[in-house]
Amino acid sequence: MSLRWRLGSVIALVLLFGWLTVANFIPKADRLESNWLPDDGLRLGLDLQGGIHWVVGVDLPTAVDRELDFVRKNISDSLEENGTSVPSMEAVSGVLVIHAASPDDVSAIEDAADDSGVLRSADIDGTTLRYELTSDWEAEIRERTMLQVLEVLRRRIDDPVRGIPDSVVTRQGADRVLVQIPGGQIDRTRARKLLKSTGFLEFKIVQDQDVNEDLLLARYPEGLPPETMVSVERDSETQRVSAAFLVPKSPDITGDFLEDARVGFDQQQRPLVNFRFNPEGGDIFGTLTEENIGKPLAIVLDENVYSAPTVNSKITTRGQITGRFTSQEAADLAVVLRAGALSVPVVIEEERSIGPALGQDSIDSGVAASIVGLVLILFFAIGYYRLSGVYAGIALLCNLVLLVGLMSLFDATLTLPGIAGLVLTVGMAVDANVIIFERIREELRGNRSPRAAIATGFNKALWTVLDANITTLITAVILFQFGTGPIKGFAVTLSVGILTSVFTALVVTRLLFHLYPGDRQVAALSI
Amino acid sequence: MPWEIVKPGTHIDFIGKRHIAAAVSGLLILASLIAIPIQGVKLGIDFAGGTEVQLKFAPGVDASDGAIREVLTGALEIAEPSVVRYGEEDHNEFLVKFPGNINEALTGSEPEAGDADVVGTDLIVNLGRAIEGAVGTVSIERVEFVGPRVGKELRSDGLQALLYASIAILIYIAFRFNTRYAPGAIVAVIHDLTITAGIFVILGMEFDLRILAAMLAILGYSLNDTIIIYDRIRENMELHTSLDLPVVLNESVNQTLSRTILTSGTTLLALTSLYFLGGAVIQPFAFAMILGVIVGTYSSVFIAAPVLLWLERRYGKGAAHDRAEADKKKKAREQRKSRG
Repeated sequence: MSLRWRLGSVIALVLLFGWLTVANFIPKADRLESNWLPDDGLRLGLDLQGGIHWVVGVDLPTAVDRELDFVRKNISDSLEENGTSVPSMEAVSGVLVIHAASPDDVSAIEDAADDSGVLRSADIDGTTLRYELTSDWEAEIRERTMLQVLEVLRRRIDDPVRGIPDSVVTRQGADRVLVQIPGGQIDRTRARKLLKSTGFLEFKIVQDQDVNEDLLLARYPEGLPPETMVSVERDSETQRVSAAFLVPKSPDITGDFLEDARVGFDQQQRPLVNFRFNPEGGDIFGTLTEENIGKPLAIVLDENVYSAPTVNSKITTRGQITGRFTSQEAADLAVVLRAGALSVPVVIEEERSIGPALGQDSIDSGVAASIVGLVLILFFAIGYYRLSGVYAGIALLCNLVLLVGLMSLFDATLTLPGIAGLVLTVGMAVDANVIIFERIREELRGNRSPRAAIATGFNKALWTVLDANITTLITAVILFQFGTGPIKGFAVTLSVGILTSVFTALVVTRLLFHLYPGDRQVAALSI
Repeated sequence: MPWEIVKPGTHIDFIGKRHIAAAVSGLLILASLIAIPIQGVKLGIDFAGGTEVQLKFAPGVDASDGAIREVLTGALEIAEPSVVRYGEEDHNEFLVKFPGNINEALTGSEPEAGDADVVGTDLIVNLGRAIEGAVGTVSIERVEFVGPRVGKELRSDGLQALLYASIAILIYIAFRFNTRYAPGAIVAVIHDLTITAGIFVILGMEFDLRILAAMLAILGYSLNDTIIIYDRIRENMELHTSLDLPVVLNESVNQTLSRTILTSGTTLLALTSLYFLGGAVIQPFAFAMILGVIVGTYSSVFIAAPVLLWLERRYGKGAAHDRAEADKKKKAREQRKSRG
């Protein structure tokens, strides 16, 4: 390639990446509006822009146990049909344990279990049979549950229309969900409520009530009537119990039939949630309310009673949930109800939340450290290598532009450790130039002409530069593979930085030497 | 005349000082190996699991670690919290750490709300309220929580990263150089990592993901330094086949000395700037890297070359000549490749 060609392509490359780099400093809105700036660019990690990073564990064992419990009911039904006495059965930690009443029943139970098509025998010990789900079916159940949970959390959090802007809900591995919510939009408490509410809505006709559990229980000295339970209402501020209700164990109707839920206000402008059942739910709800006019109806969410209004007339599809909530709480409740219930609970397994102020502090100090580091190194390089030091400095600046530009091109995420990687790259990038320059100095001492010294210097230093950088690249790539979150950012800047610094040292610096002295016969080289 | 850190024709007898170097390194390694099990490696929450909360009090609030600790152990019933002032003195910030799980919430609130996990209420909220009530206006700047399962995974991922990085580099060196160079490089790397880790343990600093990242970067950096010297040794061995090995080694270390010092210098410049200006979160990382660069530079000059000599003398006699021949051919191949 001719010199002119090379110069042209390097300048074009630097301008292109410079354009990508500079765009990052222009506000997003202006970028979207202008038609010559790229829309996207470097993304800031949550540790820099502030926000919540959650790794959420999905309770898949519960899903498996529930499926086993469902199978248990089927087995119990089919045994009953056959006239076999129904054994005691229990689903615990992924195992269905069946205690046959007599040894004669064992084969009938085995047949019933086989017929279910989803069980495999784990162990038989006399009259005790243990079954597990077949591995295919268990995998299927786990997968379905994951997809359901992911879907519900997406609708609650990163729904493009109603969710929290710019938030991300993605699957991570077999049983985890990664939730990222950028800062400044929602406080942590609210976000946590949106995440963790199971969203299981039930309607139950109240059979009895009192101001607290103890008083209510005291009315039933012989124990509660069969198939009933006590649910309590709590004050949303103090979490104190404000009322206790005796309600049936199984709900009369659940939130599964909900079609929509929206925040609304009553005559006193108090916030409430309006909901609408689908036609099927409307039929059930209509019958229920018609039969129970005059009785209170408990609206239970995640086992807490929200309110228990008295049924005044038959209600079919439309209803309201009132309670002492703020309009924010009512809006969040509507979101949770619309998104549907989580089929199993989720638990926060890892959290990294950063306040927006701290994020900005980190950016400021990262930028300060980078600039000071850069300036120190430029001074040093120019002081030590003179004109060649200026070349190294130009190469270093090109390196930064290429590094940031390349990361912007791929919409990479910049994290705080990523900034550290950037500063480290600035320090190490000069290395390639130092290796080459020291080599050229050595060649000059061997009484070679400046031109020959430059050529041999570059040639001899080539493999040294590559060897030295490939090892660092290997560790950076492995760090990327095994690192999580912000640390990945460090690995990214480090590895991209190695590539760009080798490129700038071998191409840009060399080009500068070709420009001057180039073919000129100079007496001494400023190095 | 150009400014030269190492004057041309410098002949420092590094190899002759190898016994002193071995003694120094031996002592440091021994100290590290004793300190690590005795003092115990302090794992940060990334690896041990637990909760870390950074609190920022409003200006003028007279907060002290004692007052915060009292709230934590008293009303919140948190066992073994650690409370330290964080960042710059005038920032009025504190870092609270405890082994607990934020999901097991609700201590410190009304007794009847004893439910293990009432939605919307968790330890962090309670902690903020309790401290605000007892000490003064406070904002929670940062929450990091790592559950036991995640901590375990991060630990195993970290160890795997170190292991695979070492293996990959070993393979690379064996492939690019010659198997007899690899052990020296590995000894130097183990030397650097052990001493850096030892100093960390002795200073009572915590190991977390950032430090792991620093360790891996040190691994790469230290090898980088060693490889440049080995490259020169290999080159000189071909040029001066008649010279004694110790002379060639010394010559090579001296020839690359200015580069070694300059690169460490610029890297340290950048790291020092990061240490002082990069903020409290990144400071431990910068510190580990500074340590690693210093130890790594020392080891590539004083350890990597002598190890090569020792290995050559012990295992290389007789076979050495054949190997040099093979090396020469390989090198010639590469030279052709690099020129073409």
